[in-house]
Amino acid sequence: MKSQAGNPLVVERYTPLDRLVHMVHAAAMLTLIITGLKIYFGWSFMSFHTARGLHMFAVPFLLVVNWFLIPVSIALATEGGIKDKFLHFANHYVFGPSDAARMGGIIGNFFGKGKYPAFSVYDESAGHYKTKLHPLMKILIIIEGLAIVLIAISGIVLYSLDWSFLGLPIASWILTVGGMIAPAFGMSSLEFLRTFHLLLTYWFVFELVVHVGILELDPKVWKYYKAIFWSGKEDVSDGNYSEVINNHSDNLPEKSHGSEKVVKARKS
Amino acid sequence: MKNLVKILDSVDILKMDRRTFMKGVGLLGASTFLSTYSTQIVSALEFAETKIIWLHGAESTGCSESLLNASNPDVAQALNKLNVNLAYHETLLAQQGIWVDGKLANTADLNSEILLEDLIKQGNYILVVEGSIPMGPAGSGRYLVIGEKPFKDTVAEAAKNATAVVAVGACACWGGITNANSDIVNDTDYRGIAFAKTDPKKGLFTELGIDKPVINIPGCPPHPDWILLTLGALILGKVTLNDLPSILDEYKRPMLFFPPDHVVHDNCPRRGYYDKGLFDEGAGGPNCLWKMGCKAPYAHGDCAMRKWNGSVSVCTQAGPCIACVEPGFPDSSRPLYVEAEDKGVLLGADVGTIAKVTVGVAAVAAGVHAVRRMKGE
Repeated sequence: MKSQAGNPLVVERYTPLDRLVHMVHAAAMLTLIITGLKIYFGWSFMSFHTARGLHMFAVPFLLVVNWFLIPVSIALATEGGIKDKFLHFANHYVFGPSDAARMGGIIGNFFGKGKYPAFSVYDESAGHYKTKLHPLMKILIIIEGLAIVLIAISGIVLYSLDWSFLGLPIASWILTVGGMIAPAFGMSSLEFLRTFHLLLTYWFVFELVVHVGILELDPKVWKYYKAIFWSGKEDVSDGNYSEVINNHSDNLPEKSHGSEKVVKARKS
Repeated sequence: MKNLVKILDSVDILKMDRRTFMKGVGLLGASTFLSTYSTQIVSALEFAETKIIWLHGAESTGCSESLLNASNPDVAQALNKLNVNLAYHETLLAQQGIWVDGKLANTADLNSEILLEDLIKQGNYILVVEGSIPMGPAGSGRYLVIGEKPFKDTVAEAAKNATAVVAVGACACWGGITNANSDIVNDTDYRGIAFAKTDPKKGLFTELGIDKPVINIPGCPPHPDWILLTLGALILGKVTLNDLPSILDEYKRPMLFFPPDHVVHDNCPRRGYYDKGLFDEGAGGPNCLWKMGCKAPYAHGDCAMRKWNGSVSVCTQAGPCIACVEPGFPDSSRPLYVEAEDKGVLLGADVGTIAKVTVGVAAVAAGVHAVRRMKGE
């Protein structure tokens, strides 16, 4: 990894837990999309029962990752109390005014105006990222979180029309709620929930195209592929989409600040 | 099944609890059940007689025809075995309405309307309603008048002295085809007994302030077993009005015949083709009909297990299921031969079209974005 000024500042962008979560999430999501669309379209490359089996196998992985490991990962990313953890979540995952400004710059650049703004901002003095996700990714992540909840809920009914948990008739409740919305679309509750499940599947396909296509199909962001799948590190001084604020010249090796650890900071 | 029949054959029907009875009729069907227990039933009901008043509203009489299609036992045998007096059935009884100068004439032996009035006065009958009931125009109900009396008033009078009310067919349950969306649907204002489409607040009984428990036997038409076995359960006292909340679903359908956890698709004869991913896209093929708009995945009915026409066939062997047992039929199933997922949900576009457009736009944007980034612009 080469820095622009030959002065690398390599930091840990993704913890091992982040990388594990991302890989499991990606594998589960791809499995669910492919097997789900196979079931719907009747593609011939796999039997219905195999597709359904794989589909149901992938579900717990996706849910454990999203509803347990990601919250744990976010909670572990900062020291301090609930307020600190909430602020970390808000700064890193919630689309805010500064993200809106960056997004404006990105859209302007797309249409030939201005430079592509940096979205990965590292505060060297504090020793951690101020924000690191592409603003579009922040929008996608929040919608994705909601979409996973909704597709899981609608999926319960597709899995079993009388599914219950601890004696609670969950599927029946879902069908009742679905029945309140379905007439607006001229559907029965079950029709609506099946169609909604399909629509959310298409959302994940769309998100995949945007995530991989728009955010990642760029040689200058390929460093993030390596970071998320393997190394976990980023040279924040290389200037491509990253910016270092409050930087100083006495970077020391293996220096650790707060939640984000500077795994390798040195002058060349 | 043979073992079950053997086991049930040795059971005294009169000592059978309701749960076992319901399981029995669900598994065996009317013909096997009635023939298995005919001796016991007849002896038990030797001195008892149950009257049925069967009213016809706005309908095609297809439900009665379906009942008449019952075989082994046919409807006459079943009524005989159950010791039922089908006291009034407009299309089967010999009498007819006779008015002279606007007034009912003659006696109940010849005049069906006098017979009906007498039966209502006597009480102690099960009221079966086939067909929908118009409230139009403007709440008068005069779009269906027999003699001088709007049909809604006849139903209201008959309901008051009934021991139980059974709505037979989609029309009596939800308004059915007569209540399907059209330019005149609000003017004619057809209602089901307990629902108008899926709305219980607009059901005839709610509208008229009649507080009577209702059993809905939907379908267009309903299976004869569903009708006979429901009436049989009521007549034999295996189902009482107190039991209704536990055996009916939210749309007042017996869960035994319309199971909430089961759809026609689960036991469809074409199910194997679905599992293989083989779908027909035109008429006459052997494969799964889902892509032709088959509503079996949404239809809660035991059709595919019970089978029709003397237990030899089911609708999906001929063409797509239209989910005629579902609340709000036929509007809830329209368009009949379009897959539910292909219904327009946004400005007439279905989810597949919406997905193709948005994913396509995203892919193009991604491509342009990638080229521009690679050029360093």
